[in-house]
Amino acid sequence: MNNFIKITGYTIRDQMRHKSFYVLLGISVLLVLMIRGCYNSEYLVNGKPLDGIAVAWHVSRIAFQFIAAGMFLMAAMLSMRIFSRDHADGSLVLFLSRPVFRWQYVVGRVIGTWILCLVFMIILHATIFLTVWTKTGALIPGYFTASLISFINLLFIIACVCLLSLFMPDFISVIFTMGILFVGFVSDGGYQILNSEMVRSAAPNVVISDPSLWRILFPKVFMLQAYAGSIISNSEFNNMGPFHPVLNLAFFIMTLMTLMLIRFNRKEV
Amino acid sequence: MISLNSVTKKFGAFTAVDSVSYSIGKGEYFALLGPNGAGKTTIVRMLLDFIKPSSGSITIDGIPVSDPDSRRGVGYLAEQHRIPACLSGFEYLMRHAALIGLSGKDAVGEVDRVLELVSMKGLEKKNSTVYSKGMQQRIGLGAAILGRPKLLILDEPVTGLDPIGIRDERKIIETLRNKGVTVILNSHLLSEVEKTCETMAIMHKGRILVKDSIHSILKNGETLEDVFIRYVEPENE
Repeated sequence: MNNFIKITGYTIRDQMRHKSFYVLLGISVLLVLMIRGCYNSEYLVNGKPLDGIAVAWHVSRIAFQFIAAGMFLMAAMLSMRIFSRDHADGSLVLFLSRPVFRWQYVVGRVIGTWILCLVFMIILHATIFLTVWTKTGALIPGYFTASLISFINLLFIIACVCLLSLFMPDFISVIFTMGILFVGFVSDGGYQILNSEMVRSAAPNVVISDPSLWRILFPKVFMLQAYAGSIISNSEFNNMGPFHPVLNLAFFIMTLMTLMLIRFNRKEV
Repeated sequence: MISLNSVTKKFGAFTAVDSVSYSIGKGEYFALLGPNGAGKTTIVRMLLDFIKPSSGSITIDGIPVSDPDSRRGVGYLAEQHRIPACLSGFEYLMRHAALIGLSGKDAVGEVDRVLELVSMKGLEKKNSTVYSKGMQQRIGLGAAILGRPKLLILDEPVTGLDPIGIRDERKIIETLRNKGVTVILNSHLLSEVEKTCETMAIMHKGRILVKDSIHSILKNGETLEDVFIRYVEPENE
């Protein structure tokens, strides 16, 4: 257990040594701050002013999803070279020539990358939260809960890319994972739109058929983001099938981690 | 201390190690010799559980090598030793120290001791990217002897070292050997083996051709090179 914590720490420290990490963080915070103008404008619809706080909440919800999408890509890019880089630069020999279990190395690397992405995402989400607070005086109570929920998605992506990178070239593992996310986006996004209040009120007589089994069982990354968004806006969440997306992703993460450990145990160093 | 029982390793249809059995006693200075592709490095990698044998078993101090505990007290220097580019020599050694359970002042003291031994004191804070091949090898040797190991596994340890580096390394290993450390040396440099080792095995095509003490193998003024050719050449015909 002790070695697992050490390897987690090394993973975080090694990534933070790169100047590009701080440049990327700085640019991301600046980009997020650029939307602060949205919070103090006066919006008119049919000559009537909109409620400023309602606009702020809506903008924050959109920004939340954009940050999450950016973080998913960053997590995938950070994860794709973990094993191949360690193999090439001698880190793997450093760890495995010592009394370190292979699971300690694998889980330490995955959790270290996850924690790094969490911190990055928390900083960006906190920037939005504080901007809304300073500009409108309103606090969005569900924002940090929603952020916590997105962490599950990050872990899923890191585990998925790491596992796939043991079977295929690094960049292909990212493309493959993005493909999984895209299929989920189309499937779950379509379901969300068809079940939204707007569509139901516009076409109340339309009968929507039940989704097929594969759609219910598919990794629910987009659905979890929709759930997080519903917490921010305190709105209704239309789940697909009997399993909550948190349970669905917990199952997939456990499966991916187990497969990764089995595969890595057989890997030749 | 080390025991290999009918160990075979196959890579697809190719047999890299073919039913090899031998044991190495405590405090023995053992050399593994053989031409390229003989299976020497495969045996070293199996000793560290980097690869699994297709059949047979390997133990260190009675512990199967699949158990990471078998690597407690084992120092290893790889053939092409590499230090992660983001680390300095000091940080690299500190990581090794942490992984063998040293911390705080104990770790710093031990790292300082080995830096002194491998003549890298004063250069340890530089990033590893500026180290020459020989300097990387010295740091690698430092990592291998960190924590006073009971067993030292050296895979082509003099690769990249200048003559002074080779002499220094020989001295360090001699000192450890006098303290009862078991050493396994995998080398092509027969003159080096002749100078330092007590026992040796010659491998060819995955099999052990001979394993004995160097004194018993050398006959009538023969050099180790003569012995090597005497055993390996008939196998090639």
